[in-house]
Amino acid sequence: MELKYYIIRRLLVLIPTIIGLLLLTFILLRAIPVNDLIANYVNQKATPAEKALEKQQAITLLGLGQPLPVQFFTYLTDVANGNLGNMYSAYYNGGVLRGIELFLPVTLEIAIFTVIFSVLISIPLGTFIGSRPNSVSDSVGRVFSLIFYAMPIFWLALMLQYAFGKNLLFLGSYGLPINGQGFPIQQVGFVHNHTGYSYSVPTHMLFIDAVLNLDFPLAVVAFEHLILPVLTLSMTVLAGLLRFIRAGMVDTSNQEYIKTARAKGVPEKLVLKRHIRKNALLPSVTVIGLLVAGLLGGAVVVEDIFQITGLGRLSLAAITGTSGNGANIQFFGVAGTVLFFGLILMLTNLIVDIVYAFLDPRIRY
Amino acid sequence: MQTTVSIFKRGTIQKKRHPKVEDAKETIKLVVKNKVAFTGLVITAVYLFLAFMDQVYPAYLGFGPNIITSLLQVGGQPNGKFPTPPTTVGGWHLWFGTGLGHFDIFPAMLASLRIDIGYSLLIVLSGAIIGIVVGSFSGYYGGVWDELVMRITDIFYSIPFIVMAIAFTTILSFTFTQDNIPISGFNLIALALIIIWWPTYARLTRSITLSLKSSRFIEAAIASGSSRVRNVITHIIPGVLSPVFVQISLDLGSIVLVFSTVEFLGLGQIIGINYYTPELGNIIVNGQGGMLLGYWWPIFIPGIFLLIFTVGINIFGDGLRDVLDPKMRR
Amino acid sequence: MIVEESKTEKKKNLKPYVEVKDLVTQFFTSRGIVKALDKVSFSVYPGEIYGLVGESGCGKSVTSTSVMDLIPDPPGRIISGEIYIDGFNIIADLNKMARIKIKSETDVRIRRYKKAIKRHNNVLSKIRGDKIAMIFQEPFLALNPTMTIGDQIMEVIMLHNISSISNSILRRENISSGEVRNFITEFYSINDETQKRKEVNNFAASYAIQEFEESILSLLATSDDKQYIENEILNMVRENRTGMNIQNIREIKGYFDLQNDIFQNTLRLLQAERNGDSSAIKQFNSELSKLKRIEASSFFLLRLKLKFAYKYVMKEYRKEARRRTLELLTLVNIAGPEVVIDSYPHELSGGMQQRAMIAMSLASNPRMLIADEPTTALDVTTQAQILEIIKDLNKLIGMAVLFITHDLAVIAETCNRVGVMYAGNIVEESSTIEIFNDPKHPYTVGLMSSVPRADKKREKEIKLETIPGTVPNLITPPSGCRFHPRCKFAMDICSLKKPKLVEISERHKVACFLYSDESEVE
Repeated sequence: MELKYYIIRRLLVLIPTIIGLLLLTFILLRAIPVNDLIANYVNQKATPAEKALEKQQAITLLGLGQPLPVQFFTYLTDVANGNLGNMYSAYYNGGVLRGIELFLPVTLEIAIFTVIFSVLISIPLGTFIGSRPNSVSDSVGRVFSLIFYAMPIFWLALMLQYAFGKNLLFLGSYGLPINGQGFPIQQVGFVHNHTGYSYSVPTHMLFIDAVLNLDFPLAVVAFEHLILPVLTLSMTVLAGLLRFIRAGMVDTSNQEYIKTARAKGVPEKLVLKRHIRKNALLPSVTVIGLLVAGLLGGAVVVEDIFQITGLGRLSLAAITGTSGNGANIQFFGVAGTVLFFGLILMLTNLIVDIVYAFLDPRIRY
Repeated sequence: MQTTVSIFKRGTIQKKRHPKVEDAKETIKLVVKNKVAFTGLVITAVYLFLAFMDQVYPAYLGFGPNIITSLLQVGGQPNGKFPTPPTTVGGWHLWFGTGLGHFDIFPAMLASLRIDIGYSLLIVLSGAIIGIVVGSFSGYYGGVWDELVMRITDIFYSIPFIVMAIAFTTILSFTFTQDNIPISGFNLIALALIIIWWPTYARLTRSITLSLKSSRFIEAAIASGSSRVRNVITHIIPGVLSPVFVQISLDLGSIVLVFSTVEFLGLGQIIGINYYTPELGNIIVNGQGGMLLGYWWPIFIPGIFLLIFTVGINIFGDGLRDVLDPKMRR
Repeated sequence: MIVEESKTEKKKNLKPYVEVKDLVTQFFTSRGIVKALDKVSFSVYPGEIYGLVGESGCGKSVTSTSVMDLIPDPPGRIISGEIYIDGFNIIADLNKMARIKIKSETDVRIRRYKKAIKRHNNVLSKIRGDKIAMIFQEPFLALNPTMTIGDQIMEVIMLHNISSISNSILRRENISSGEVRNFITEFYSINDETQKRKEVNNFAASYAIQEFEESILSLLATSDDKQYIENEILNMVRENRTGMNIQNIREIKGYFDLQNDIFQNTLRLLQAERNGDSSAIKQFNSELSKLKRIEASSFFLLRLKLKFAYKYVMKEYRKEARRRTLELLTLVNIAGPEVVIDSYPHELSGGMQQRAMIAMSLASNPRMLIADEPTTALDVTTQAQILEIIKDLNKLIGMAVLFITHDLAVIAETCNRVGVMYAGNIVEESSTIEIFNDPKHPYTVGLMSSVPRADKKREKEIKLETIPGTVPNLITPPSGCRFHPRCKFAMDICSLKKPKLVEISERHKVACFLYSDESEVE
């Protein structure tokens, strides 16, 4: 089968999964009594007249009172139009989609650096220890990856914060100033407490923007703020990747075709480079999806601890609600972020599958 | 043709064998011989023992209900006393110092084990049972149901675990309170985690089922007129058990982590778990406030305590997987 | 049909190409030490097909892997013995590479010496594939799934045949009219058609101009004017060499020749070390360091280029290697080699995969092939074709074959000589005809009577028989003769002492006390 048809088939499989995901978030929203849902949509600080108007809006928008299939269809059109509802919390007030738009770049920047850092380290390290199983370096590598794999990420973050945070001033909040209410989109970017710099263009990712605008002092500050979150997230991602690559190396080394390569007279170095490494690294492409899932989950924890204004905290804020005591769960926020995380992950898995099919000739069959 | 038959006859005369018993014996022997796996086994056993002791002999180790009440401060608020560092003076309960709110960390950690390990076991085992049943039947029957199950697991796989856990927990909590169904906070988390954990086992079981389905002994069973349900119960499920068991031992560590992470993120308070309830994630989040003042031990020590358990169960699971791998036996 | 023995007669005064002496290979497992091979000795002479036959688990495959020193470590190791490949003992340094301390059956400590192992591997990588090649039971598993067939075959050529490619390219670039004239006169002096074709083939091959083979042939057929033909051929070749960087090729050739010198020197050094000849060691050491200095100084840039732009630097070589690969694929009867060369293993059928494996093993013109149950995983019709190819190669190129199988029919079909293995020992060795007509060892006798045979019609009353019992567990093998618990003729001594493989008639060896004295023990 050609790659083209594989991609088409893969896209077709995606459709029911996306519909299923939408169904799931829809059910989440409808598991809640209608009144609470409407109360969620309405800005509690508005005047009574405005409230009444918003309430009416909510009822028509959500299609409440109509049969469930119709409601689901209304929900689908809402989502397609970018209307994920509103949320009100100490962290962010306003439309959920707008919130996601605002906070995504911050999380994305951390994710990008985490992936780069952990891939750059895990591939050489994994092939190194995987090529000499049961050696001292292998044992050290295994213990290292095992410990970080089994480590609670929140504890690691706290410990790093304790060890480095105080001395190196890495603890300043990173990201947007949040004043309880919404804020103008132009300000999106970074306002640092000490310097007062404000950046928004072009990527909304502070460090990358600073570098692109050749503002190196700010880039240094931004980089300092990236170190601990990226390090924390990398440790867990790296540990997982390292284990996987090592296992792949060991498994591939025992394959019959490696024996063939040796029988052909391929020198050990080339056996490792040309035959073992390539075949061992290929399957690790497939775990990237799982790692991104772990990464996004970890982002919730890390952003909470390092006070980073990212997407993870948005989803947490939706749950904590306005008062912080759980009385006001923001259902639209919860459903919206779950939907968004799901879509990101599906996209990642789609890309991973296509890349893997491109790399491994066997998979297309 | 008496040719081949006689070979078999002669071969079996020597001694009667019980392959399953011998296999289990061999597995135990290999685990014990594998130093790393054995260490993991010992760690796991000690933790399980400690968790168990809490229930059976509350007075024996000096913790239990008494300690839990001592953790509860007047009015549910911290009493303002500063944490005292780890010391060997003044009894074993002070070995690891006291936390913010002045509770003794060591007994609190020990008391946490019952909740952490107990609920994790509950989650993993329930998830495994649901997963085995769903996975083996859908894999064996195939068709539309199989496709449906796979798509459902796809959806669960496409949402980050922590995000899903907190979302499900809160929404479940909300619906339960609305309908006036009394449910404790931990049961709520456990229920949410079971709902999102079973797909892992369903997928694992299904993939093994598919490979078992085409094997000879299933063909033989079908030929001898055995029904489909019977085949799944008598042939597929027993074949699935040992890889699932390995997965359970590996997952137990992760689920303890998820469980405490959910607590750490402050969900416990939202769903009505007391601030002083001994649970490792809870103890750590309680210590967070004192960290910048230099009180590291209320965080560090419970974290290490948790880490030792997750590392232990992981190396045990890894070792078990190696041992059960037919390639390693030769 | 049983192969004629005529050819083997000549081999009496030949030196064996591969000689295995007292080979002991063991596997250290969690259940105990598997004594897989217990002093196995045999020789394979140039041009013959030597078969190893036995029940599964008797150590045939371990023997073949041991000959290439490909036993996976852990769990296995060659413990002792000698394996001479073309006169060079590849495992003389066993004690330098590892120390084995056996505390108990299940507790074995092995200390490995990395430096010695590294040197051993370096030396062996020049021998494996070049002097001796191997094909495996399951071609699908034995081919790298993520490399094309062509790349895998080309790899062998690029490893072992660089200098021969350099030579032919250089010869082509500097082709002189005298050389062409010589070829033409040579061609006209031959009368036989096939010989003529062979001559053209040789000429084209040695000048790397195979693409002109057909046109040269038609030229020679259509014209009688020698001068005209000469000019045409010269033009043909010269026009084709556009854009070839001769300087580059000379440099690469120089580098690989130096590599070869270093290897030869290492071999000499090894030999000297084994002999304990200190002056020779000193001499070769200094020579080696001299060569390495040259390598470092003169070829610094080339080595960098090779490291980072191998494919680009070697592109002329790769072109030639690809052409040779196509030829090899045609040689093993693969239809459509142009398509197969760029396909991946999973796109081919089992038979095609095995052919590709054979083509790969032939790539560097080895003088011996080890075929480890090459037909077991294939269906019957394909089996016959593969066997035919192996036999043809043996006849055409005179390649020796060590053929491993459990199938007596295949042995009868292909082999000149046969060794019968039982539980890690060779119990009988003889020519194929004698093994089938006059088996001596009780095990061989049992083996022979357990298969139906068309050529023994007169003994209709003889039923197919089986050998009682099963293959012994090699962790705790029977004492003495390993066959004695299953042997009808077992005597007291059989369980006490191990019989030696002794010659009972000319070139017929048996290890059994029925035929040898009690003094002939190991």
